[in-house]
Amino acid sequence: MSTLIDLAGVTKVFGSGTGAVHAFGPVDMTIEDGEFISLLGPSGCGKSTLMLMIAGLLGITKGEITLAGRNVTGPQTDIGIMFQDNTLVPWRTVRGNIDLQLEMRGIDPASREEDVEELLRSVHLEDFQQRFPHELSGGMQQRAAFCQAMVHRPKTMLLDEPLGKLDAMTRENIRKDLQSLWMQKRPTVIFVTHSIEEAIQLSTRVAVITPRPGRIERIIDIDLPFPRDFDVKSSPEFTAYVRETQEIFRNYGVI
Amino acid sequence: MASSDKKPYFAALRIHLANSWMFIAFFIGFFLFWEYAVVWFDIPRYILTPPSLIVEKGAADLDRLLYYTYVTGLETVLGYVVAVVLALPIGLAIAFSTILRRTIYPFLVCIEMVPKIAFAPLFISWLGFGLLPKVIIVFLVCFFPIVLNAILAFNSLSEELTRFARSTGASVWTTFLKIRLPAALPQCFVGFKYAAINATVGAAIAEFIGSDEGLGFYIQIVTGNMRPDLAFAGIFFLTLLGLALFGIVTLAERLLIPWHISVRRTAH
Repeated sequence: MSTLIDLAGVTKVFGSGTGAVHAFGPVDMTIEDGEFISLLGPSGCGKSTLMLMIAGLLGITKGEITLAGRNVTGPQTDIGIMFQDNTLVPWRTVRGNIDLQLEMRGIDPASREEDVEELLRSVHLEDFQQRFPHELSGGMQQRAAFCQAMVHRPKTMLLDEPLGKLDAMTRENIRKDLQSLWMQKRPTVIFVTHSIEEAIQLSTRVAVITPRPGRIERIIDIDLPFPRDFDVKSSPEFTAYVRETQEIFRNYGVI
Repeated sequence: MASSDKKPYFAALRIHLANSWMFIAFFIGFFLFWEYAVVWFDIPRYILTPPSLIVEKGAADLDRLLYYTYVTGLETVLGYVVAVVLALPIGLAIAFSTILRRTIYPFLVCIEMVPKIAFAPLFISWLGFGLLPKVIIVFLVCFFPIVLNAILAFNSLSEELTRFARSTGASVWTTFLKIRLPAALPQCFVGFKYAAINATVGAAIAEFIGSDEGLGFYIQIVTGNMRPDLAFAGIFFLTLLGLALFGIVTLAERLLIPWHISVRRTAH
């Protein structure tokens, strides 16, 4: 494995002068190629801010981010992003929304037809591709948004609480699909979440972030076998990781 | 009752029908009341005429009414179309240019506060009794709601979609065509519809002030001649004109943004 993303002293300050808010950092971290790393922390801890800085969609106040050997100074295009509020447009069908990602990049959707079909099958949406977003449930919308974020074969995926607004059962279901897709294609995934269990179930490493200003308190290697199904989740090792993480937040006074 | 519980579709249909019947009954009742109240209260015919007489006298003067509807219709449509054609690019330019947003935009907001109709006598005195001053007044009435809604429309793309567009590396033009423009259409139509409702008002008032043809002219002349029956006939055709314009805009909305929630709600 080689280093894909390198953060060096990354700091974010919003505003300037007396009204300045020190939101994040300084943070140092390296992310390996093919890793599934979770940024875990409570709301407002700056995990989304960090994700946007890695994507080049938000300026860095101090420090440096390197992605695949290149300094991040503007929007990165070799990534797939899923935002908390999905980016499905209401005037296109599920299929049309996936094609939108390709069309924006000047790729002819016809040339990727098989890719799209396969992707839709892997998230069980093959029978819904001609539906409009408003005709789908929240979970289906997020599945469609996932296809949209992945169709251009990005090497890195940034997922900002993609399951945040879903009910517990739907979340569980989509996690399973997310995990098998990651195991199959092995992109590097940066997964923003505030669910301890979700982070431990999905990730190779969990970066625990504490707020005001956002800082990486600890990075925990999750040494559990994949796929992490129900058996793994009920194992004492899994529970130990959950406890360890809870301990950090408790000591910090977050929970 | 039990059967309607089992078939919610029929229950909904029945409620819809019940509501419509109430409205239609009220509508008919209103005109019946009008018809007989004129007789009961012995209102002189030069003050108010019953609806039956409006229909009768209006039909007798149909040729003139139709011609004037054409005249006023032409003024309205020309003013409206010019407003749409000019307001959209100007709104777009203001939405995307910081300089214009700090200069022309506040200026437009100030002008919006001025009742445009107040300019009508000036335009008539500058440009005479012909078609042009009417078109300009309709244009003034329509331009502001369209341009202000267009600015709002092009400025209110969600942060997520803006970021999505940037992350694809697409050109400004591609982003505009594939995301910004379709996302802006619903708000643009708010302006189009508002302007369509007010367009005939502008045309009628312009004709009141100085004109020798058109429905506004007609209404003013026949009222002066103590003929409320013909005035109401004129108002009826003016209303038809407004409804037709609004109907066309609404139809365009349904064709262009069938996906939008405002269209989906009214489609059933």
